[in-house]
Amino acid sequence: MSAKIMASRRKDIIYSVIAVLLLLIMLFPLYWIFVTSLKLEKEIFRNPPTFWPTQLNLKSYMVQLEIGDFNMFRSFGNSLIISGGAMIISIILAVPASYGVARFNFKGKKPIVLGFLITQMLPVSVLLTPLFIIFKNMNLYNTFWSTIIADSTIGIPFSILILKNYFASIPKELEEAAYIDGLNRFTAFIRMLIPIAKQGVVVCGVFSFLYAWGDLAYGMTFIIDQRRRPITAGIFNFLGQYGTKWSYLSAFAVVTIIPVALIFIFMQKYIISGMTSGAVKG
Amino acid sequence: MTKIRKGFFRYDNVGMLFVLPAFIYMISFVGYPIIYNFILSLQNVTVKNLRTGQHEFVTFKNYIDLFTHDDVLVRSIVNTLVFTVACLIFQFLIGFALALFFNREFWLSRPVRGLMMIPWMIPITISGLIFKFMFSNDVGIINFFLKTLGIVKDNIEWLTNPKTAMPAVIMTNIWIGIPFNMILLAAGLTTIPSELYESASIDGASKVQRLFRITLPLLRPTIESVLILGFIYTFKVYDLVYVMTTGGPVNATQLLSTYSYKLSFDMFKYSQGAAVANILFIVLFLVSLLYLRFIDTEIET
Repeated sequence: MSAKIMASRRKDIIYSVIAVLLLLIMLFPLYWIFVTSLKLEKEIFRNPPTFWPTQLNLKSYMVQLEIGDFNMFRSFGNSLIISGGAMIISIILAVPASYGVARFNFKGKKPIVLGFLITQMLPVSVLLTPLFIIFKNMNLYNTFWSTIIADSTIGIPFSILILKNYFASIPKELEEAAYIDGLNRFTAFIRMLIPIAKQGVVVCGVFSFLYAWGDLAYGMTFIIDQRRRPITAGIFNFLGQYGTKWSYLSAFAVVTIIPVALIFIFMQKYIISGMTSGAVKG
Repeated sequence: MTKIRKGFFRYDNVGMLFVLPAFIYMISFVGYPIIYNFILSLQNVTVKNLRTGQHEFVTFKNYIDLFTHDDVLVRSIVNTLVFTVACLIFQFLIGFALALFFNREFWLSRPVRGLMMIPWMIPITISGLIFKFMFSNDVGIINFFLKTLGIVKDNIEWLTNPKTAMPAVIMTNIWIGIPFNMILLAAGLTTIPSELYESASIDGASKVQRLFRITLPLLRPTIESVLILGFIYTFKVYDLVYVMTTGGPVNATQLLSTYSYKLSFDMFKYSQGAAVANILFIVLFLVSLLYLRFIDTEIET
């Protein structure tokens, strides 16, 4: 008996060690960019490379606080505005739409749902040129709005398809009880159903934000003014101009990852549920 | 009781009011642009006549020109297929192996599996940047590892050599795709009842037999949807390649997505860019229909 427990404990340890090794390999690139951002330019080019900076250097971050030709923190703020805007639009439009799709059987519902499904699979390339011309004609070119609108078209269909399942799982009786209490269809929706589906709304918010945060194509194409560009487009610009300035580039990379890391740490449960339900059930 | 109401305001049509704002928004900024993109591809719009509004219809001239004037489009199609298939095979196999491993119950299985998801969440621009650094010629850590392990003697010019650029971007994309494959396959694995494995092992089935006789057949629906979705997501990859190589060197990593961008926004041939995007769209649309038919039958069964 005790031999059996010993064997299973040993198995536990061996598997856990293998798991940690796999994780270290998988996450090495992130460790490497972080370490690089703390090195002096000179040390980055040292051969053999050092796996921890011999001299800690925060200059790559600090230099961005001063006004340079590329201000990382302003781009960071731009990204926050754009991603936040895209998130708000996605939620405002997707929450009622998903409720309508989950609860009612109106004419043309099926093609509309299929339409939302297909937009999820759309390549950005197919929208880039037409939206570029449309935004130029609407005078939205080179404003935050252009990129906010384009980014929200990714978040909306995803959110509708996720939230649809949340609303469908709320028992109808609960809704009927609300009508007896004197709420109508719209007030019941706002005061009762949305709070119940809160978890789903959070998943959608997180994903809409992350999609917009990671976007490069829209931000780079629709905003030409460096002072308004999101951080991804700013980094791409910098890469083109100072391709081998790896100390600065690695600092930009770390700063861009920070919000993603924070979201991941605090919302891991939501993210994994969003990934699996979004992709498997469509 | 509300169901008795007739005409437009009957019960179910109220639902349409909830959907309408999102529907109109998506028609304006996705539906219309798709149609506009198609029209654009049949016109002759360049930077010169963009503002005038006088756009000549040239029917399929853009498509014919793209196919006949040089071989960049054909190369982009071949590259896109090579990129997609190579990424799919490796990210699926590695993801599947990891899903099987983390499906075992051990002390750290859940937390470590969660952390394995991180590469999938990093903005693609940043992943591209990180690997561009790691693949670089003299400071690149990958060349350092390869030399230390004695696999190569001289530095490989990964991203500047037409022969090695494609493998380098493929490897990067596999790194991004592994978590996606792993988590979906792991979710599929948990639906297989463990009694099946227990009775199989009582009957004396080996581990390999259990994999091929139980796991793979029962996981088939998940595997199929992971592969179709993987195809769709990989076929349209844009940012990663654009950051790492911008389609170069000499079109060695030019994909349909990057070529379309180059035509529209580097060469300002908007109609030609739209035509290439349209080819990409049609392929993805057909595969999406396949996927929709597939999940439709899944729901019915």
